[in-house]
Amino acid sequence: MTGTGHWWLLTRQQLRSRVRSLVIWGVALGGLGALYVALFPSMSEFLRQYLEQASQQMQQFMGQLQDSMTIEGWMEIEFYTSIVPIALPFMVIPVGARAVSGGEERKTLDLLLSNPLPRWHVIASALGTMAGALACVLGIAWILTTIAVLAAGVGLAPGRLAAALFVLWVFCLLFGALALLVSTWVRRSFLAVVIPAVVLVAMYVVGNLAQVSKSAEPIRVFSLFYHLGHPLKGDFPWTAVLLMLAAICVIGGAAVAVFDRRDIYT
Amino acid sequence: MPAAIATEGLTKIYGRRLGIEGLDLEVRRGEIFGFIGPNGAGKTTTIRLLLDLLHPTRGRAEVLGLDSHRQTVEVRRSVGYLPGEFGLDVRMTGRQLVSNFARLRGMQDLGSADRLAERLGVDLDLPTGRLSRGNRQKVGLVQALFHEPALAILDEPTTGLDPLVQDTFLQFLREARAEGRTIFLSSHILSEVERVCDRVAIVRGGRLAALETTESLLERRRKRVTLVFAAPVDASAFAALPGVSDIHAQGTTIWMSVGDSIDAIIKLAARYTLLDLNVEHPSLDEVFLGYYDQHQPAAGAGLAGERP
Repeated sequence: MTGTGHWWLLTRQQLRSRVRSLVIWGVALGGLGALYVALFPSMSEFLRQYLEQASQQMQQFMGQLQDSMTIEGWMEIEFYTSIVPIALPFMVIPVGARAVSGGEERKTLDLLLSNPLPRWHVIASALGTMAGALACVLGIAWILTTIAVLAAGVGLAPGRLAAALFVLWVFCLLFGALALLVSTWVRRSFLAVVIPAVVLVAMYVVGNLAQVSKSAEPIRVFSLFYHLGHPLKGDFPWTAVLLMLAAICVIGGAAVAVFDRRDIYT
Repeated sequence: MPAAIATEGLTKIYGRRLGIEGLDLEVRRGEIFGFIGPNGAGKTTTIRLLLDLLHPTRGRAEVLGLDSHRQTVEVRRSVGYLPGEFGLDVRMTGRQLVSNFARLRGMQDLGSADRLAERLGVDLDLPTGRLSRGNRQKVGLVQALFHEPALAILDEPTTGLDPLVQDTFLQFLREARAEGRTIFLSSHILSEVERVCDRVAIVRGGRLAALETTESLLERRRKRVTLVFAAPVDASAFAALPGVSDIHAQGTTIWMSVGDSIDAIIKLAARYTLLDLNVEHPSLDEVFLGYYDQHQPAAGAGLAGERP
């Protein structure tokens, strides 16, 4: 057995045990994406008529709605920056939380580590599981949404949709990695779920607050939601994605270092 | 050939509490080694140090000639481990668990898993969530032993097993020893240690209280005999018998402590009208308190349990 083989085997085992929930998540998100695509023709017509009848002041005030009159803008507001990035991290945060402190609480970590595998493989396999699980869910979501796009004939480029889902893959994986780090640090899986969840929700609130309040604008840079960019419109957030990937690597390395030095209790 | 287990001054301190202190231990290859002590004595701490699940505060341990910390992966390749408490994925069958572990060990098959499961009487094809506590323990034993390890470290292995299965399991341990494998058996049940172990280490309050052969340990164990007669009997006749001590009489009842055979006592008692006879084997805790308190300094106040 090679060094790499262990964590890959663990990743495969963990993914296989989650197949059903991955399909449910993928179909749910994909169904939601397809629903928004299907709603777009009637909603854009409704919004166009509404804005035509509105006063000029009202039109300026409702500027964001004009953005919703394109499929890219509509999907960005309804799908890319709201539903998915707030919901999907909650699929991977428990995976990270369960990897170490959850394994201690369930008393399964002892049995796993009685096998000849180094501790860093537990961390690597947890990251691999989260990455694979997200890829599966977002892959299913992409397929279902693309089918809806083709059926509705709304002209959303599949490549741009894939780029947006890739950004969300990195975004969600970052929160999963954070849960994993907390899981190695504290001995309560509850905290390993709550801490990244609070960070996520706080960022969501800050991101939305900054959109409606000028006084909150300066702090919006602290929200990852602000850095998600506009990949559906062809503006891929390279810097943010690279920084998030780097952060995942640093957090993963920190999790390995912390886990390697600490005692395991069951 | 290096010892199966060798520790030097192995110490684990949890914050301000002692887990185990200054443990010097050598387990020879091919023996069944009993590691006994009351709950909280430091047995599990020692085992977890051997497997690098805990890092020692001081001292070192070698397992099969390998450093238990620096070469922990190599150590675990040759070791089978049954934790005292463990959890199983309730959706997974025993076969899936063993199969996963076999792959992690680079095995192409399930080794002796089916043979072991059959002997212990557990169905590996049922989800572990549907198994009773005893059957989950059997699955734990199968996963610890299916790869026929050179050293098996078993923490309270017979917990939850019925007496018949305990017998089967102890017989299996004897067979493993006959094949040259080493068993490190942690237990607080003296009777099972008596039946299979070659040597025994007694740990108490985080310190090694004694290390000796099972035979010499048994010699020191004293039974308590209670005789109830139809009428008062002179206790001095019993006090004069070899191995009898700590004798008390009240009314028609005589209590005594006996180190050797009770044959002479029975023969003497048979001269009178004996209404009742009771022979009690003291618990392991009583053995510790009764015997080792006389030979060991008292364990430090506030010494640790097995974990913080």
